[in-house]
Amino acid sequence: MKTVQKVVNPVRRAGEQSPGKIYDPKLKVRARREWRGVKDTFYDYTRWLYLMSVLGRFIIVPRNVKGFFRYRWMMSYLFVPHGMDKFTVGLRDEALRLAHTSFNFVIADVTQAIANCFRGDRRVGNDKAYSDACVVTDENSMVTFMMGFDTKKVHTILREVPTMFASNIFHQFNVMHYLDIAQQYGISGDVCPMPEAEAGISIDDDFCVLGCCAVQNNTTCDGSLMGNGIIAKRLEREYGIPTFQLATPLRHKEPDVMDYAAQEIKNAIAFVEEHTGVKWDWDVYFRAAKRVNDATRCRIAQLEINSTPYPQFFGAAFSLYNDTNYMGNSGRNADFVKIDHKLLALAEKGYREKRMYAKEYRHRAIVWGVQPQYVIDMLYWLVQCWGVMPLTDMLSVINTDMIAEEDTPENREQAYRDMAMLNMEMIMRNHTHGGYKVLLDDLWELCEKMNADMVMMWEHMSCKALTGMHGMFEEQARERGIHIMWVSHDLCDPRVFTRSAIRDQVSAYMRTVMREEPLDPSLENIPDNEAY
Amino acid sequence: MRDLKHLQYFEDLLQVANNALITQAREEGKVCVAYTCENVPEPLLNLDRAFSIRLHAPHTGSMDIATYYMTNLLCEPSRALLERAIEGGFNFADCVITPDGCTMMNRAVENMELLKTMGKDNPNFFHEYMEIAFKNTDNDVNLAVLQCKNHILTPLHEKYGIDISDEAIRKAVAEHNEICRLIRAIGDFRKEDRPRITGYEYHVITLASYVCPKHLIKAKLEETLEELKTREPDEKQPWRARILLVGSEVDDSDLIKLIEEQGAFVCCDRFCFGSYPGRNEIVLNDDEDALTQVCRHYIQNCQCPRMMNMEKVYGRKQYVADLAREYKADGIIYEQVKFCDPWAYERTLGSAMLKDDYGYPVLSVDRPYSIASSAGQMRTRVQAFVESIEIKSIQRGGKA
Repeated sequence: MKTVQKVVNPVRRAGEQSPGKIYDPKLKVRARREWRGVKDTFYDYTRWLYLMSVLGRFIIVPRNVKGFFRYRWMMSYLFVPHGMDKFTVGLRDEALRLAHTSFNFVIADVTQAIANCFRGDRRVGNDKAYSDACVVTDENSMVTFMMGFDTKKVHTILREVPTMFASNIFHQFNVMHYLDIAQQYGISGDVCPMPEAEAGISIDDDFCVLGCCAVQNNTTCDGSLMGNGIIAKRLEREYGIPTFQLATPLRHKEPDVMDYAAQEIKNAIAFVEEHTGVKWDWDVYFRAAKRVNDATRCRIAQLEINSTPYPQFFGAAFSLYNDTNYMGNSGRNADFVKIDHKLLALAEKGYREKRMYAKEYRHRAIVWGVQPQYVIDMLYWLVQCWGVMPLTDMLSVINTDMIAEEDTPENREQAYRDMAMLNMEMIMRNHTHGGYKVLLDDLWELCEKMNADMVMMWEHMSCKALTGMHGMFEEQARERGIHIMWVSHDLCDPRVFTRSAIRDQVSAYMRTVMREEPLDPSLENIPDNEAY
Repeated sequence: MRDLKHLQYFEDLLQVANNALITQAREEGKVCVAYTCENVPEPLLNLDRAFSIRLHAPHTGSMDIATYYMTNLLCEPSRALLERAIEGGFNFADCVITPDGCTMMNRAVENMELLKTMGKDNPNFFHEYMEIAFKNTDNDVNLAVLQCKNHILTPLHEKYGIDISDEAIRKAVAEHNEICRLIRAIGDFRKEDRPRITGYEYHVITLASYVCPKHLIKAKLEETLEELKTREPDEKQPWRARILLVGSEVDDSDLIKLIEEQGAFVCCDRFCFGSYPGRNEIVLNDDEDALTQVCRHYIQNCQCPRMMNMEKVYGRKQYVADLAREYKADGIIYEQVKFCDPWAYERTLGSAMLKDDYGYPVLSVDRPYSIASSAGQMRTRVQAFVESIEIKSIQRGGKA
């Protein structure tokens, strides 16, 4: 089997050495804050204050208070500070700053998204003029088709992000109610719980109602595609919001789907123009395209750092920031550029100073598959408890090609193809769909490139695209001498696999197959199954 | 009723995937094109010397090896096909053409390819994967045409020298239509108040038209149609209700038999391997090339839940309602194979809309691939459904 050289941290990390002690089984949040040494604790505290100021500014707006009491899912946002702690557990130095910089920005973005939803929501803010300038899109949606619309004139509302995706990260039990609603309606319990929960929210009539039109897509999976029908029926027939289905080919590596995909983008743009009355602006588009390329370069640089013995930016913070930037932003918001560069500077500094996340790294792992929403801190636990360094995850391995960014007649036609390419290569589906090569071969290439000796395979049990290749992963890993560690979960339903049941799979593998003991035994059994 | 003369013959053909007629056709020098989904335009697989066989796995028992490769979380049809392929049950195929229609079937065929389950002694053997249309727009027709050229016509021509000309396509469509007319004419007897063919018999005949070389069963279909014209239905009808069966693929005729044993006559079939929409005639004109017309036909007629635009989403329910009215159904059974994502949602929305918007009693069930493994459960569900229809009929002043 392949082995990698162990990397030992020569520096004793400041503060307490056993973060597992801050958990209390009697509490739904951590018993106390973590002591990280004077400098890092102070920094952490200032970021906590910043976070509270973001939340405070949100809740002083009367319509947001109204929205808070109208929507069940808003309860999750009471636990944002606790949620932020999941992203920083055990972190010090640049790692702590990377997590805060990226995730605080994401939280501010989500907070703004909720505020926007409430402003236009017919049941809360009911700002009709604002609502008439809003286009509602899916949670799992590349918004490339909005790149050429002036953000001051047309507002893109990814209403499923705050409603389902982000709220589930802050409160693990949040979506269970909506899953129950969906299954009570008749949807099977064996489909992916994410689109099922979104359908459940729609059935429960618990989405904000706004927008002059909506655009749905099929970017993730069969379940996501099918859940759209239930949601669109309510949008169209009950609320009179016209809905466009943006079809995105699955076999995205085949050149013979490109014309179709590009035409679909054109059709989506025409639909938005028709309903908003705002024209596509090529200046706006190419400015956004430059920002997309800039983000791509930063992401590539981050992954290159992670290929070295001293990876810096990985795990939930990287993954969620990347999701937000690549998919939900797609170059439209210039603020992301500053954050991208700040994050890269932090990572480069950490690399130069050989900062480590744990006292030693025993293995280098690629994390493949889809991570569970409710154990979002798992990768930090993996490195701190077992010394397995997660170099990157599947959702972060996305497009590395540059798109046309100069406004020329040729590039305007190329732009549709670029948008189509980005749309087809959306996070997750760029590996789960498009043939087995993007799922299997890409993984082994990445193992080689990043010098990984292990794959931590998230087996999302309702994801048919992944589980359908289970045996091939096993066989091909064996042929290559790569350790493959299966970790099953059900994405956002903690009733199927609890947090400890998920971690126990790793611990069992590390003890029985790898014959190793944990770096930090206090972390092996964390009593957080009932925590938010 | 007297047994149909050729029923046993058709039943025998369905007992194994590699039936005697496939062997016969291959001995005639024909090329067997295997496929896995109704979204593949069937006439294009029957050009010139080629004949199509839709893969099925009758009498599936253990799926242990396929379950190792695909886990027990994928639908049983996809695992059953992989298991059968690993066992060597599909070695008759000269190529496999599959659309990326649903993820699970696509993965099943990809596993077949990676495991090299077929084509070991055939250097011309190939696998092709197609992108399939999502909507019924002109853009989707263009996509379908290109996909059919690149993934059906070109490889068939290059590997096996199959004639893929416009004339060849028109000839294949004409032959396809002959089979469709026969199947439809046989099925029309189900509309009668005292039907002279059962749903089970009809399913056996229809299924045979998918899994056998069509030219070799045509004569038997014609004879069966003639026989039906004079077949006397029983004086006392055993049926307590007329049922339209809608859902994912049904290649297990025992499911129909089980439903009918409970007194529910399956008067119409709207499922994969069924006659709606798969046995609708394709009408060609001389103004446009045949390939484009075939593709347009498949896209416009497609009732697969994968079609995602709302015109299609609502249209599928209207289609079911229209069939229910045409075949005088008293109720509708929406079924899905367990773990099927597309039909999990379609079944839910369909059963809700057919009940709420169209007023039909609806039974919504999931089921295993082989009904034999869960017969008791299904029997109970259907019995209860039939009784509920009867009670409603009594409440409306009708007879039980």
